[in-house]
Amino acid sequence: MSKHYSEEDLILYYYEERPRRAEVERHLDSCAQCAAAYRDLASTLKMIATPEAPERDEQYGLEVWQRIRHQLPEQEMPWWSAWFRADRLALAGAFAVLVVAARVAGRWWSAGTVVAPPVASLGTAKPSAADDAGNANALNQAGRDRILLSSVAEHLDRSDRVLTDIMNARAGGDLSAEKRWAEDLVATNRLYRQDATDAGEHSVALLLDELERSLLAIVHTPSRATAARLDEIRRRIDAASLLFKVRVLGNELRQRESVPDNRTPRALAAQRS
Amino acid sequence: MDVTDVTDAGAVVARARQGDSEAFQTLVERHSRRAFQLAYRMTGNEQDAEDVVQEAFIRAYRQLNRFEARAHFSTWLHRIVANCSVDLIRSRRSRYDHASTDDLAPTEQPETGDANPERLAASAQIEQKVASAMSELSPLERAAFTLRHYEGRSIAEIGKTLGLGTSATKHSVFRAVRKLRAALEPLRGES
Repeated sequence: MSKHYSEEDLILYYYEERPRRAEVERHLDSCAQCAAAYRDLASTLKMIATPEAPERDEQYGLEVWQRIRHQLPEQEMPWWSAWFRADRLALAGAFAVLVVAARVAGRWWSAGTVVAPPVASLGTAKPSAADDAGNANALNQAGRDRILLSSVAEHLDRSDRVLTDIMNARAGGDLSAEKRWAEDLVATNRLYRQDATDAGEHSVALLLDELERSLLAIVHTPSRATAARLDEIRRRIDAASLLFKVRVLGNELRQRESVPDNRTPRALAAQRS
Repeated sequence: MDVTDVTDAGAVVARARQGDSEAFQTLVERHSRRAFQLAYRMTGNEQDAEDVVQEAFIRAYRQLNRFEARAHFSTWLHRIVANCSVDLIRSRRSRYDHASTDDLAPTEQPETGDANPERLAASAQIEQKVASAMSELSPLERAAFTLRHYEGRSIAEIGKTLGLGTSATKHSVFRAVRKLRAALEPLRGES
């Protein structure tokens, strides 16, 4: 080959993307100009080392999941799937059952056998055995809610101490104890968050969710954390005003715990019913 | 990855497509670290990489229906992460223009007793120069170069990932290499 290879040819050759490599190789062996151009290109590209991504440990996936799980949107569905959506099928099924039931009832129902009590009388009726049982259940429920409040308040106190330790930790110091502590708290936190959600305590659940992310960040921090890593965690805690919120909620829960009229949404609902 | 893994992965993806959030959680847990590495190389910034990983999984969840069962989830996700990175670089272009020179700067050099300080300094200087030059590339040039040079993907794969033709992909790589060579030229004698 008499002509020289272009820079583009040599780039493709470097990345092993050029066809007829043997031909190029032979040319480079015999052409000093192209060989020099290739050496120049290759030495520059070899200077560009792959950047090392900061380490992410085994728990990282869980951390990502914690961050995105509340943001997951509706999945895009194929157009025809709208006709087969479970809720529509269920609705159609329920409607069919209703039609059949109405036909059967129309045949066998004898009119005038049941008279519904007037709505106004519900509030003044004397409590029956069933009402007593309902009240007992409501009281049991209120007791359980009170225990939940007390446990979450203690959990927040413990979390407060770990977060405070981290806020005051010095770079390069040993954080093994804080990490172990945070790991235990993460496990407990998940249970309380679920309980809070079930009890309709959405603001508590939300704060526990935020807390979990910071606790996970502590768990995933090396035992001898660098100043940069510690700063990152502190910024996360600060950005969410987490310590402040943890303290305020802890106090609020203890106050609610000491009030006889336990005003949890579930207790209130139980008392109303 | 053996056949069992593939079958298992297929079953998990199938469950996720039916709206099973636990199955999707499994996918997130399995693929996050690799997604983060790619996002970091593409964006050159830790916080941006975190944002890309989250956005990529959210986008993947929304588009699970488009995932072809015979494909590998990791390959499909790789494509989403790459495109999310390009989108993020585009949207933060002005920030990159001013700030990202420092992003890939070696903040924590490993301390080895026998390392030559001059060599370490030169290496840090090159890294800084590369980071600076990378920030000058257009989003597509940066993405194409990252996928070719750092990730070892072929031109054909890169084109498919970024939705470009072969010629456009090659030219993105060529332009990137040309700009990086120009930026690194002053250091060549020193290295």
